[in-house]
Amino acid sequence: MDAGNNRTEDRPSKSGDYLWDGSGEPDPEIQRLEAVLGKFRHHSPAPAFPEILPGRRWTFFVWRMRLFPALATAVVAAIVAVTFLVYRMKPAPTAGAGWDVSSVEGAPRIGRKTISAEGISRLGIGQMLETDGLSRASLQADDTGKIDVDPSTRLRLLSMASGQKRLALDRGTIHTFIWGPPGQFVVDTPSAVTVDLGCAYTLQVDDTGAGMVRTSLGWVGFKLNGHESFIPAGAACATRPKVGPGTPYFEDASAEFRSALARFDFEDSTPLQRAPDLAIVLGQARKDDALTLWHLLARVDEGQRVLVYDRLSQLVPPPATVTKEGIFRLDQPMLDLWWNELGFDDISVWRHWERSWAGTATPAREK
Amino acid sequence: MARSGDRGDLLAAGLGPGPVREQVASKISEDATWVAAAQDGDRAAFGQLYERYARMVHGVLLAKVPVSDVDDLVQDVFIRALRRLSTLRETGSFGAWLAVIARNVASDYHRRCVPEEPLTDDVSDTRIQRGASSGDHDGPAILDAVMSLPDAYRETLILRLVEGMTGPEIAARTGLTPGSVRVNLHRGMEQLRAKLSADARRDGPEQEKP
Repeated sequence: MDAGNNRTEDRPSKSGDYLWDGSGEPDPEIQRLEAVLGKFRHHSPAPAFPEILPGRRWTFFVWRMRLFPALATAVVAAIVAVTFLVYRMKPAPTAGAGWDVSSVEGAPRIGRKTISAEGISRLGIGQMLETDGLSRASLQADDTGKIDVDPSTRLRLLSMASGQKRLALDRGTIHTFIWGPPGQFVVDTPSAVTVDLGCAYTLQVDDTGAGMVRTSLGWVGFKLNGHESFIPAGAACATRPKVGPGTPYFEDASAEFRSALARFDFEDSTPLQRAPDLAIVLGQARKDDALTLWHLLARVDEGQRVLVYDRLSQLVPPPATVTKEGIFRLDQPMLDLWWNELGFDDISVWRHWERSWAGTATPAREK
Repeated sequence: MARSGDRGDLLAAGLGPGPVREQVASKISEDATWVAAAQDGDRAAFGQLYERYARMVHGVLLAKVPVSDVDDLVQDVFIRALRRLSTLRETGSFGAWLAVIARNVASDYHRRCVPEEPLTDDVSDTRIQRGASSGDHDGPAILDAVMSLPDAYRETLILRLVEGMTGPEIAARTGLTPGSVRVNLHRGMEQLRAKLSADARRDGPEQEKP
């Protein structure tokens, strides 16, 4: 899904409220579209649904009670037999919780076992899913989401705890669509941790451990220790081992802008080296690129912060309660207030989740 | 259920103040109650969920498959959901869960019908069948213009313009954040306006609509 092309003004315009919730001054063109397209609206009545089988519950009727001793003996014997066989066969370390895995193409493997083309396998905690250059797989967990796994990918399941579903992407590409609660689906990469904030995104990791996340819906948080980036739909963010997440940017920014930003994030090491690349980024920034500039406020040194402040102020003036001095000392509430002027989600959405990230900011294997 | 409440908190956080926030939180809570009742075998509760979510499912499908097949697929989605309802643990995420089932049903439809072509944003097949199925000249052409937009935009715009849902409703039903829905609506609408005016210019002034 390409949600980032041809970006334009997103804040409510004259007709903005009408498009959003039907309030405000009606836009005649939108009204005409509603009238014309409304003919395709859903009108079918509810079908006769079959009987719903409720979750199985134990009910002990009197007649069943008479069979209880024999039944109990049979069950115990079966458990003993199965336990013996299971231990003897030394099974793979599969836990009850996991992801359903189906083969989409080729011969993906869980551990050493190839997933059959028909049917569904299970990726348990501690197990590894691997696709070769010709294989694809699809994972689904009903209470969490769906993950499509591209060729040449290695993915491990670390946790399926109720508050945190955690995977590690060692290399390759996954496309995720998460419908579980935001903040609970986490993917470790060698160079950052991605945290779902209610979204769909693509995550890539190459053989060096460098990564890239592209968000198509909602938001992704990209974080390593104290270094964090928030990536909305249409934006992308690179990450590098030992450096962490770079600065997020919209993918329809100019090539020169993106190249300069990549050098700024991962090649330049001193303010002097960064100066020419920062100048390109600031000079080429459009209104949408306020996303990038806001992140840069905390990533430049004090001498260069004034340049970023001035350019961001031209693109999106700070609210009256935000002062230059406050931004220069990176006052978090002021930075947050300015962010809310940029026209993206209210920052309180992710500050809420950030508080619960204390334990997720580091890839699990590095803890 | 705490986790369901978290989703409600998140939605509310992006919806701004006042009644809209309260309405959304209230509806999510109602949904959870109905889902729990349906999981216990209450068909009437599942009927309530159908009434509430059928438009959303219809819109998601309409963004991906020919209009002539959408009604049948809506029923497929709800039947599939009913069969798997016992596996849904996050009752507050019913809408997002259902939306994914709808998208999967649409993917299955394309795999079944056109196995030689992967599902992409190219909707030329859909255009042909949609145009042939309606006697209205304007509607199919505008719907085709919507279908030429990126996936995220067309789904959100169809829910708004075809199904008549508001932005907050779309967010609450699909599980997307309100911010994403707002962005998709505005950017999608801008692209649609540009597309329609370009089409009008290309077709000449005699075909241009007022």
